[in-house]
Amino acid sequence: MSTTHTDAQAVVEPTSDETEFVFFSGKGGVGKSTVSCATATWLADNDYETLLVTTDPAPNLSDIFGQEIGHEVTAIDDIENLSAIEINPDTAAEEYRQETIEPMRELLGEDQIETVEEQLNSPCIEEIAAFDNFVDFMDSPEYDVVVFDTAPTGHTIRLMELPSDWNAELEKGGSTCIGPAASMEERKQDYERAIDTLQDDERTSFVFVGKPEGSSIDEIERSASDLDELGIESQLLIINGYLPDSVCEDPFFEGKREDEQAVIERARTEFDADAMATYPLQPGEIAGLDLLADVGGVLYDGDKATVDVGTATDIDTETAVDFESMADAEMVADQLQPGDETRYLFFTGKGGVGKSTIASTAATKLAEAGHETLVVTTDPAAHLEDIFGERVGHDPASVGQANLDAARIDQEKALEEYRTQVLDHVTEMYEDKEDTQIDVDAAIANVEEELESPCAEEMAALEKFVSYFDEDGYDVVVFDTAPTGHTLRLLELPSDWKGFMDLGSLTKGAAPAKGDQYDEVIETMKDPDRSTFAFVMYPEYTPMMEAYRAASDLEDQVGIETSLVVANYLLPEEYGDNAFFENRRAQQQEYLGEISNRFDVPMMLAPLRQDEPVGLDELRAFGEEITGLDDVTEETEQEVTAS
Amino acid sequence: MTELTLYEEAMCCSTGVCGPDPDEELVEVSAALDQLESEFEDVEVSRANMQHNIDQFLETQHIYDLVEEHGPSILPITVVDDEIVAKSEYLSYDELAAALETTTPTQEA
Repeated sequence: MSTTHTDAQAVVEPTSDETEFVFFSGKGGVGKSTVSCATATWLADNDYETLLVTTDPAPNLSDIFGQEIGHEVTAIDDIENLSAIEINPDTAAEEYRQETIEPMRELLGEDQIETVEEQLNSPCIEEIAAFDNFVDFMDSPEYDVVVFDTAPTGHTIRLMELPSDWNAELEKGGSTCIGPAASMEERKQDYERAIDTLQDDERTSFVFVGKPEGSSIDEIERSASDLDELGIESQLLIINGYLPDSVCEDPFFEGKREDEQAVIERARTEFDADAMATYPLQPGEIAGLDLLADVGGVLYDGDKATVDVGTATDIDTETAVDFESMADAEMVADQLQPGDETRYLFFTGKGGVGKSTIASTAATKLAEAGHETLVVTTDPAAHLEDIFGERVGHDPASVGQANLDAARIDQEKALEEYRTQVLDHVTEMYEDKEDTQIDVDAAIANVEEELESPCAEEMAALEKFVSYFDEDGYDVVVFDTAPTGHTLRLLELPSDWKGFMDLGSLTKGAAPAKGDQYDEVIETMKDPDRSTFAFVMYPEYTPMMEAYRAASDLEDQVGIETSLVVANYLLPEEYGDNAFFENRRAQQQEYLGEISNRFDVPMMLAPLRQDEPVGLDELRAFGEEITGLDDVTEETEQEVTAS
Repeated sequence: MTELTLYEEAMCCSTGVCGPDPDEELVEVSAALDQLESEFEDVEVSRANMQHNIDQFLETQHIYDLVEEHGPSILPITVVDDEIVAKSEYLSYDELAAALETTTPTQEA
């Protein structure tokens, strides 16, 4: 047992004979898997019987431990007391669907079963299936500690939030939007116990993992306050991947390091957690038991971190890809420019990949080239205002550049608009039925109550999203979309609703005009001549896998093909002239090669900057450094001189 | 004690307020059922839809037979006690109230 006692240690160690649950929350690419593996290893090394559960759709536990794991509880070879399991959320959802459908097979034909299957293919079902997995492992008396390497933050929050809503729904006796009420009823007690345990800070610890970046900390603060509203306290903040002092030898990286340290200091004073710990960036990826032990020692025993920069890169330069040659500026520019019809550009990707900045830069360059451009963010946490240095509201308005407007979806306003629309509809409907003895006020009050559901929020956001397709007078509409999972839901929903409405129209009268509107939106998004989907990521394992997975889902579920990738935060050649950064650069180059192979579409390359661009001048200048954006303006200039 | 049961097709949400536009029929029938339940003291209202309450379809023989023979287009089926009062359509408040009055006189009556 260790003799050094840190606050972080107190958070993760079991406090009683009852099983302790440790949840890691944070966005993809912050090192959440690494930290959970290191924590589980540290706990096992300290004689606690430990289980590590990951629900990551693209798990890399096998890389980290050097051993295949899979969806059965598996003992980790060289570590006593440690077992792990990888749960595939897609498989879990499919199992749940089949269990639900099974009894219906007796009564329904193949066609009808298919329709029900389609209905069940909803994000709600995925949520419930994922939560079921949580609940299953929250009754594990054979372990002293269960460590959950959870799915990313937003997802986690929804999982936490929904059970309270479900219970409220079930108590009302109504059916819910999420599945067979009967089977939910059976598990109600399990859910309740799970929620109780989650809210018991003696038995459950919530740990946030983030990068030393302002936006990362902001996001964590938002997530933590969401959890707080649900009665869940965040106890530990781990900031991972700060630049080590010893390797920053030029103004560029020294400056970056100072910024990071300032962020860490800010988090230390502002973030309301019992404990905080940090771990530095390593020259390579963290894998193998030695490095895991180093991480655990630093976080929980207060050890000093070992940063072994090595001598030079061990990556074979012959096989490494020359990424300049992979970037075809003209092909990128072709994907961005409008033809005869309005072009819709979707910049999508997880939070923290620099999506808003890239979208704003592209929009600025397109406007500069003379195209009437609108840039819209559907991300509630977006910072378009900070990027442009101008007010950006619910309705499109100029941000100073000629031909350029910006707008952001205001969730509350969108919800209010949706509520009004539904209530007006219902009120009107009863006006036409004068002879009824129905209590109209009570009926309307019922509907009003129903509008207090998470479902209504989702619909409201969708309505707003779709409305931007009707904005007239733009050559290009650039969407800085919400984080990938959320985007997918938004994009998937039009198809889902379409399905529901077609189904409904068979028995319940004609589908409303809304169905046609969604149809048109989906058609537009699927048409590569009118829409471009660009996935923004940085060249590391998790961000790449998340983007790839999201792109595959888009194609499988909605039929939309990705036509661009943006590789952001590429380390500049002119700074960081030492073995540490050479290793990092070699690693980036390897992943660029893999991104290029996986996606097989034109790539936009964007460099890491010392500071994020702010204001139109800096955006224009940044645009010149990004593959393809310069060509957008150049081509127009040529056209202008030619005519 | 009179039981009013509505057997409905598979659906996500029986309130009708769950989509881009409210489903008028469902909104209406939900309101009607609520009101009937409070007006008729001795009436118990329940709804079963094939997605959420498949068990009730499997266990209720005459409903099972109808759906098996005609497919789900026979739904919704309105049942008062054991008697089927409507098939393939939702009844309005007035029609539902009339159906209940024939089997159970209201308190005042």
